[in-house]
Amino acid sequence: MKSGKFWAWVTFILGAAYFFIPLIATMEFSMRMKRGEYSFEAYRVVLGDPRFQESFTFSVVAAVFTIILGVLLVVPTAYWIRLRLPQLRPVVEFVTLLPLVIPAIVIVFGYIRMYGSNSPLPFLSSDMGTNALLVIGYATLALPYMYRAVDTGLRTIDVRTLTEAAQILGAGWTTIISRVILPNVLIAVLSGAFLTFAIVIGEFTIASLLNRPAFGPYLQNIGANRAYEPAALAIIAFVITWGCMSVIQVLSRFAPKSANRPN
Amino acid sequence: MTDISLSGPAAAGKTLPPAQASAMRLPTQWLGVAPFIIFALMFLILPTLYLILGAFQNVDGAFTLENIVELAQPTIRAAYWISIKVSVASSLLGAFIGLAIAIAIVRGGLPNWTRSATLTFSGVASQFAGVPLAFAFLATLGRLGLVTVLLRSVGVDLYQYGFNVLSFWGLTLTYLYFQIPLMVVIITPAIDGIRKEWGEAAATLGATQWQYWRMVVIPVIWPSFLGTVILLFANSFGAIATAYALTGSSLNIVPIVLYAQIRGDVLHNANLGYAIAFGMIFITGLANIFYIWFRTRSERWLK
Amino acid sequence: MADPFLSIQHVKKAFGPTTVVEDFNLDIERGEFVSFLGPSGCGKTTVLRMVAGFEEPTAGSIIVGGKDVTRLKPNQRNVGMVFQAYALFPNLTVAQNVAFGLKVAGVAKAESDRRVAEMLELIKLPQMGDRYPYQLSGGQQQRVALARALAPKPKLLLLDEPLSALDAKVRVSLRDEIRAIQKELGITTIFVTHDQEEALSISDRIAVMYGGKAEQVGAPFEIYNRPATKFVANFVGTLNVLEGVVSDAGSGRVRINAEEIGLKGKLNGSKTGDTLSLALRPEAIALGPRPGHDATLSGEIADVHFLGSVIRVRVGIGGSKISLDTFNNSSTPPPNVGDKAEISFSSGDVLVLH
Ligand SMILES: Nc1ncnc2c1ncn2[C@@H]1O[C@H](COP(=O)(O)OP(=O)(O)OP(=O)(O)O)[C@@H](O)[C@H]1O
Ligand SMILES: [Mg+2]
Repeated sequence: MKSGKFWAWVTFILGAAYFFIPLIATMEFSMRMKRGEYSFEAYRVVLGDPRFQESFTFSVVAAVFTIILGVLLVVPTAYWIRLRLPQLRPVVEFVTLLPLVIPAIVIVFGYIRMYGSNSPLPFLSSDMGTNALLVIGYATLALPYMYRAVDTGLRTIDVRTLTEAAQILGAGWTTIISRVILPNVLIAVLSGAFLTFAIVIGEFTIASLLNRPAFGPYLQNIGANRAYEPAALAIIAFVITWGCMSVIQVLSRFAPKSANRPN
Repeated sequence: MTDISLSGPAAAGKTLPPAQASAMRLPTQWLGVAPFIIFALMFLILPTLYLILGAFQNVDGAFTLENIVELAQPTIRAAYWISIKVSVASSLLGAFIGLAIAIAIVRGGLPNWTRSATLTFSGVASQFAGVPLAFAFLATLGRLGLVTVLLRSVGVDLYQYGFNVLSFWGLTLTYLYFQIPLMVVIITPAIDGIRKEWGEAAATLGATQWQYWRMVVIPVIWPSFLGTVILLFANSFGAIATAYALTGSSLNIVPIVLYAQIRGDVLHNANLGYAIAFGMIFITGLANIFYIWFRTRSERWLK
Repeated sequence: MADPFLSIQHVKKAFGPTTVVEDFNLDIERGEFVSFLGPSGCGKTTVLRMVAGFEEPTAGSIIVGGKDVTRLKPNQRNVGMVFQAYALFPNLTVAQNVAFGLKVAGVAKAESDRRVAEMLELIKLPQMGDRYPYQLSGGQQQRVALARALAPKPKLLLLDEPLSALDAKVRVSLRDEIRAIQKELGITTIFVTHDQEEALSISDRIAVMYGGKAEQVGAPFEIYNRPATKFVANFVGTLNVLEGVVSDAGSGRVRINAEEIGLKGKLNGSKTGDTLSLALRPEAIALGPRPGHDATLSGEIADVHFLGSVIRVRVGIGGSKISLDTFNNSSTPPPNVGDKAEISFSSGDVLVLH
């Protein structure tokens, strides 16, 4: 017992050290831009850089569209699977897990070859089409997380009973989804949305291979050419990720508790 | 499911309220998932199949194994080898360290805040990958990084000892930054699932702590553990951004070779590019098939 | 009890500043079946866990078979334990679960197989050896847990609310089965429950616990009929409690509202003017006079509950309501609410609570 606790502390402290030292080092490095004193100069330079602002805005917009696409794709599907097609469940779950197995670089490689300018569906021949393909690629990346978040949300609220109750009261499908199901899984959907945001905002591979002016390629470019700004950007990116995750944590407190389980 | 399709056409003409719609099967039932299926086919499955097929074709579209054979050329083979090494090392190390941390916070008798702090932080760190992570490690262990500088000031020159953040170990150490937390996040619920009473029952039956672990705890968490190791493996095997930002193209892992190929056909053979992509899917797919096989074989006790 | 098998002596347990068990004493004879009965949070589990070795007593000692085991680890005590939530190992089959204790003790395979078969026979699940726990019902799982606990021939069997997770019917049949198995093996057993019916029906003796102490220890008959304290009287069975004032200590007269009854010889030292709590079981009270009943009180029918073979009537007397049971008799209609009524009982059945 006693020695167990000792080792638990050792493990915890070593782990904490491994995870905090890089953060501290990066913070320190990012403040070294002015010789001989600590300053936030690197942050000032980065935040004032118009390319930063443009690429960041681009990625935020892409993330928003990704979230919309993801919600439209996942919520009705997960709902329908729970309600009417449980036999399809293993297939759909398998598909949603595929993006964890097939690397993003392979997926985007496939896009480039399948949707080039002389293909039947020439996404890549226009800027808008390429942007759409970027959003689609992001939605694919986020699919496993979005699906699991929504499906867990649906599991806790007993979809079938809610739907039947709404039907007895004479509600149609649009009403059922928008007024009954969505509000109840809103927390789950929002969690999925913020996770999607965290994944997408600094994504490099797809954006770079589709030549989009996104935040990820911008980061990479700064990394190759500057010394102190990358550290500042790393801290900014960490704070963004932290923010998204904290929102998810806070949201989870408002999630409806399972109706089936006691306690 | 043939009987289902029979009743379909007969009922398809009528418009029914949702409650009765369940009586008619195939067409309307499946419409509900049609958007998803179409999306998955168009943007996930077909693009992948396209590459896989391409890997077995020559420039004229005829079947060939040449591209696969070509994978054995030294640069590509070396790339696969280093990718596999980094992925195996970072997934195994990440898995064991993550497991140790999870056990420490769940079962170690630490105060409650350590658990919530670790889980919150792990949630963040498991998603903190890509280019910024490379920056953080350069700032830490690069030639001018804080740790490098501090160690040098006490007379330990990491780079003199052959360490380089732009190397196998450097990359592995960096990947652990998201691998360990990912393990913690996934395995903690599995450890929570180990009931306190099991240990107590085992103790009253005379078992030592080690016997209890060997006969109950390890077999119980093993499936989740192995599944997560496979996930961690795939996670690092396909990752490119961190490595690219960290090492440029000085460390030729497979995704970086493929990236260069997509950008500029550096191999001067488009179909060889497909073969490299196929090889990546093959390896992560193989890992998953092994996992599924293992699970169905040995986990009869899982519902 | 000259030579108890298990002796719990002056045991105390505090978690930090809160004392949850104080000065608990109990001697149990070999082969005895003792129940711990008490409300939630009274410390039943804590005492049991100290006997098992999961908690170390803050003070006092626990002696099993003449040997002080207070500081022994659980895996050195040779006790069998059954938990409320079954706690079967999910990755092992029924047979492997039962064999667990034998395996860790290094019992040879053949011997262990024989013992497992014997145990499965004992719990009447001989065909289920190859099943996994999730393939069994709750009652079956709990029987397997019992077999697993008994397989290594423990000196003591500890059961912590083993029936609470089961539905009512299984609960009754399994408790009888547990008792039968216990008698057959002659194993010394402690059974924790908060269900008085359970405790009354299967125990040799019951320890009624309250606030970390044993309020009363005795045979079920004794606990029910001669509760030693107000708590025990209230907790075990339904009880009517009336306030009375001693009007004449010498002749044993006690005034209840405006009426007097005689309780000679029951007042143990109460003086004239003292207030007493008098308790009566519903089955000891009759509506109207009855031969042998020497005390009467009058009141008004407050409500009537028809329970099938029995009619439970509540009679308002002064400020309190007295429950009594009359048998359903098709020729006599039940009383009406608001009617005047007289109840009678034997003063010998009155419990004076302290
Ligand atoms: N590990 C612990 N730390 C602090 N307090 C505890 C601990 N274990 C038990 N207690 C407290 O001790 C008291 C007695 O608990 P115990 O579990 O023995 O009750 P019980 O009689 O078994 O109740 P129940 O019928 O609900 O199981 C409770 O108030 C409980 O909160
Ligand atoms: Mg208890």
